[in-house]
Amino acid sequence: MKQALRGTLFSILLLMLFHPTAIAQDQSSQAEEEPVIDVMGKIVDHDYLELVGVKIYLPRILFVGGELYTYGSTKSALESGEFMEQDGALVRADGAPVSLDMSITSHLMYVWFGIILTLIFTFWAARRYKQGVGASVEPRGITQNIFEVLFLFVKDDIAKEYIPGDKHKKYINYLFSVFLAITFMNLFGLLPWGVSATADLTVTATLAAMTFFITQFSGSKDHWRHVFMFPGVHPLIRVILTPVEILGLFTKPFALAIRLFANMLSGKILIVCILGLIFIFTDIFGPLVGVGSSVVWVSLTAALYILKAFIALLQAYIFTLLSAVFIGMAAEEHEHEHDTNVAVATDVNT
Amino acid sequence: MGFLAAGIGAGIITLGAGIGIGLIGKGAVESIARQPEASGDIRGAMILTAAFIEGVALFAAVVTAILALGISVG
Repeated sequence: MKQALRGTLFSILLLMLFHPTAIAQDQSSQAEEEPVIDVMGKIVDHDYLELVGVKIYLPRILFVGGELYTYGSTKSALESGEFMEQDGALVRADGAPVSLDMSITSHLMYVWFGIILTLIFTFWAARRYKQGVGASVEPRGITQNIFEVLFLFVKDDIAKEYIPGDKHKKYINYLFSVFLAITFMNLFGLLPWGVSATADLTVTATLAAMTFFITQFSGSKDHWRHVFMFPGVHPLIRVILTPVEILGLFTKPFALAIRLFANMLSGKILIVCILGLIFIFTDIFGPLVGVGSSVVWVSLTAALYILKAFIALLQAYIFTLLSAVFIGMAAEEHEHEHDTNVAVATDVNT
Repeated sequence: MGFLAAGIGAGIITLGAGIGIGLIGKGAVESIARQPEASGDIRGAMILTAAFIEGVALFAAVVTAILALGISVG
């Protein structure tokens, strides 16, 4: 258990280190007329954190041509005179564009919230298990039972099922921490003013990149042989198969990132659009129709919220499941009947 | 023009993904009806395969989103 938690901590530290920040670009600035509801503005990353209606501006960390600039907020960056705003993005006063934007954004804050919750949850459970609750007697309390159910679910139904042999123990730490972190990050999107950080391609791409590297580093000899020298086919077919297999190495984590991103983003867009219909109806038919029809839209949104909560859990499960499948496929050592065993058999015969 | 392409594309994506996931559902329900005790394994395989089809559909969905939003790539 201690080993597992140390692994969890390590995975999470990795997750903290690798978050390339997206440059939040204001899409609406290009539109000729002001739209009734700014859908994209609700979805993209912001330079502030909104908590219970209060905006907390987050620090900006900008690299311009090798020089580091740090400001308390976007406003103070503009007030200092060293930066100016151009097309919704910050540009240095002499016109040099920002080469690397490492600013802390709202999505990054929610990634951290998810990680902190995961850490609190796992460390709390670790202390309970160290005290003997759950180890020598049954787990007590709702929270520990939830933890046990989740952990056993990831261990038995995901890791053991898809990663062969004893190897699954090595990857449970990663799988469980990623499962918990994605679940928390997804569910944050359901809170009022909350943002689901997984609706940002950089976050999901980081997660998928971690799966990609773990998959490649745990690849067995058979895995690489299947990539470069597919066994049991004509050498000319390998000319076609090898590029396809190499491409396949990259499309798997790419699909992983896009799947989580698109699912979370579509849920977000759907809710913003359906609630936005109230304002669109008000704009077209007047306030009475807008308020009257809001009964339909609000109840529809309530139904969508339940669906979204289900999808949040399902996507965390699918991400973990597919990570386990990819790691298992790479780590698997095949028992080949066709070439290796035949070769061994002929050796024995001679 | 981008909106037209995105609209047609979204329709075709939905068609393809719908047929694919429908076939999976058909297969899963038929096999559960034939062998109810294996429903757990079948459900797992069903979700996994559906996720793969969904992944392909989402690739196309991202392309249509790029078309509709008019983001120039490259």
